[in-house]
Amino acid sequence: MMKRREFLQKSSLASSLFFVPSFIKAFENLPHNISGFKKLVVIQLSGGNDGLNTIVPYTNDIYYKNRPGISISKNNVIKITDELGFHKELAPLKNLYDKGYLSIINNVGYPNPNRSHFRSSDIWYTASKSSEFLNTGWLGRYIEKYGKIPHSGIEIDDSLSLIMKGHNMNGIATRNPRVLFANTQTPYFKKVLNYQSDEHLSEHNLGYLYKTMIEAKSSSKYIYETSKTYKSTFEYPNNPFGKQLKTTAEFINSRIDTKVYYVSMGGFDTHANQSIRQNRLLKTYSNSIEVFVNDLIENDTFKDTLILTFSEFGRRVKQNAAGGTDHGAANNVFIIGENLKKKGFYNLAPDLLHLDNNGDLIYTVDFREIYATILENWLQVNDASVLSNSFNKLDFI
Amino acid sequence: MKERHIKHLYWRAGFGVDINEFKKIKKFPKSKILKNLFRSSKNSVDIDIDLSEFSSFKNKTPRQLRKELGESVYRKLRQKSQGKVRDLSYAWIDKLTFSDELLREKMTLFWANVFVCRDNQIFHIQQFNNTLRRNALGDFRTFVKEIAREPSMSKYLNNNQNRKKSPNENFARELMELFTLGVGHYTEQDIKESARAFTGWSFKIDGTFFLRKKLHDYGEKTFFGKKGNFDGDDIIDIILEQRQCAKFICTKIYKYFINPDINEKYLEEITNVFYRNYDIRNLMYYIFRSDWFYNDENIGVKIKSPIELLTGIRKVVPVTFNRKRQLSYLQRMMGQVLLYPENVSGWKGGKSWIDSNTLMFRLKLASLILNDAVINLEEKGAFEDSFEAYYKRTKKNNKFIKTTKNWDLFNAKYERISSKELMDFLLITNLDEDTEELLDGLEVKSNRNFCIQLMSVPEYQLC
Repeated sequence: MMKRREFLQKSSLASSLFFVPSFIKAFENLPHNISGFKKLVVIQLSGGNDGLNTIVPYTNDIYYKNRPGISISKNNVIKITDELGFHKELAPLKNLYDKGYLSIINNVGYPNPNRSHFRSSDIWYTASKSSEFLNTGWLGRYIEKYGKIPHSGIEIDDSLSLIMKGHNMNGIATRNPRVLFANTQTPYFKKVLNYQSDEHLSEHNLGYLYKTMIEAKSSSKYIYETSKTYKSTFEYPNNPFGKQLKTTAEFINSRIDTKVYYVSMGGFDTHANQSIRQNRLLKTYSNSIEVFVNDLIENDTFKDTLILTFSEFGRRVKQNAAGGTDHGAANNVFIIGENLKKKGFYNLAPDLLHLDNNGDLIYTVDFREIYATILENWLQVNDASVLSNSFNKLDFI
Repeated sequence: MKERHIKHLYWRAGFGVDINEFKKIKKFPKSKILKNLFRSSKNSVDIDIDLSEFSSFKNKTPRQLRKELGESVYRKLRQKSQGKVRDLSYAWIDKLTFSDELLREKMTLFWANVFVCRDNQIFHIQQFNNTLRRNALGDFRTFVKEIAREPSMSKYLNNNQNRKKSPNENFARELMELFTLGVGHYTEQDIKESARAFTGWSFKIDGTFFLRKKLHDYGEKTFFGKKGNFDGDDIIDIILEQRQCAKFICTKIYKYFINPDINEKYLEEITNVFYRNYDIRNLMYYIFRSDWFYNDENIGVKIKSPIELLTGIRKVVPVTFNRKRQLSYLQRMMGQVLLYPENVSGWKGGKSWIDSNTLMFRLKLASLILNDAVINLEEKGAFEDSFEAYYKRTKKNNKFIKTTKNWDLFNAKYERISSKELMDFLLITNLDEDTEELLDGLEVKSNRNFCIQLMSVPEYQLC
């Protein structure tokens, strides 16, 4: 048989198509309108959002006693139950709540909470125990096991976080598909790949590099070419987080076959002058989320999209001397979607009477139970195959 | 020795062989080459960055300083001193590149990922880094005992909160799990007992070790079946009595210096050597002297860490960074920032360095720092950043990595050799056949350009 390259040299039809190795072509030619598959968008409020000033226990004296300078006064709360209400900047989130699109799970955490941003984020990313160090993320393992191609998971950023990393397959990060694509079009990258056939790629490290390179090129081309078919007409808040969600909506609405997305919003480490900062942050978050949901509804993709918002930890019940709060433990988690089983508040309000030795909230729901529920009931895969243990399922979806 | 074997040795013991060095030693017998390699790493030269403006930090407590300077002046000064940790990391990266103590620096980098530590007290972390360097080829027993006394480690693993009345087990646990034995080779009871032995281990303001006797538990402990009034040193001695300790360290050595895939037979062999006296220099000498170290299956199969990749390039073309901050940027985009490990378990290495994004970046690195290529990717914000700071880097689009390249030195060394020879210097791994054909077909206009091309193929990612 003629070697492929010889064939190309002899052929005047050497279009770029011929350079694509066969196993990559296979997925590029998949029909893209596989509508109906479920998508998950994971949002991290990075830095540790103060959950108590987000969902406010506005009838609890302990709350007001511990936070003389920064508590949210009763008339600044959008009251929901006898105990809990939304921070006033969360009015857009309240709209979602009214439509039954929001479920709030209180007191989410894990045993032996770690109060380092890095460590606690890693625990949330990898779904590990507090005492265990894992090198792969839960979304990464899902991508590896069930997505099979890097762009089945996209992080809206320029570099990839641990949450998106598997053992031999990772998700892909991009804030801008055009830039991502351009980076696979640099002279050497292109040259090497154009020369590359997949016949002799080994399982060893060099083969792994080539395989990753080929996948990177393929995924970035696919993301770029598919996503540019839909441009959102919705007006998102003019800030970087709004931009991240707009990009996410454009991916979803262009019917790209990505199953999981990860977006990190920064700024929540409010050790000092918390009030003014958190007001702005919550406003930015909830305004952007509302537009995002409307964008999806308009394009009939909301019914297949679930949005999970978490923070690596909550903050201490007692405020500090600088008008802020220090790193805490358990926190609330938001689930946004169309067909929630349990709408509104999923469980009881935080217990401010019984705190741990640091003065932090004690968890009642393990975050891995939320992951397990999403994996099994939403993404419809075996949760233990991703989390290595089986966890109790909740019934929010 | 075969030329390829000399190059293999130098990729693993250092960051590639310098052509002048290579010319000097290539006719030497193996014993003389090794002697030369080890002799040049005999000395340990500390990193000592200019910290004169913070000298008061070494003899005054924060409380005293607050009183003398006032809260806000003190805060500013402290913040500035914390920024110096970055300068230390730049100084370290430069040392990796320009130091003559090749093997010692390579080993220091290795140990920094065994005894993982992070601290923003600049004096302490510089001292810690120099302790790694001084012990890098020394006696492992002394090494562990010194590490256990380092202020940075004491703080990082909360041993400074370890008191007789309320022991903190963090250091004792990681000492066994991550530094010496590995998970599963001790009991929870061993952790409890050994934590007691390290109670009261503390440090003075100048960074020297200090035992707070009132907080130390002098009572009897039972550890690995032995009973005694053990202190921390006794605990370390008992840990080292376990052959598992030698095996644990040798496993890490094997993966880092020999092959990410372990051959049990050779692992046993070097474990026996190390277990005899825990002499690190002796262990490394044994490995590099072994015939099997030069087996084909061990050559060119290791994925370089970002720092190894960067250093390897700079060893060939001396590059200095006009904006030091961009060194942080490069490290962050590739996922390894020296002195800022993400957690105490360290970097996993190997394939975990590689994902679509890091690989694209790594393949572009040579063009970025040698050829003024433009990059339009941004590093992530930090957890502690405000919303504005978290995203502020997204404003500028295309950026250059501003470097000064010493092409004269490169030309003096490499311009006269054939392109095939240059290829052999830069690429140690067996080439992918398609890429080999591509490289063969390139018209080489100058070795300078060819050098950048070679550094841009996937094979250069391996050593």
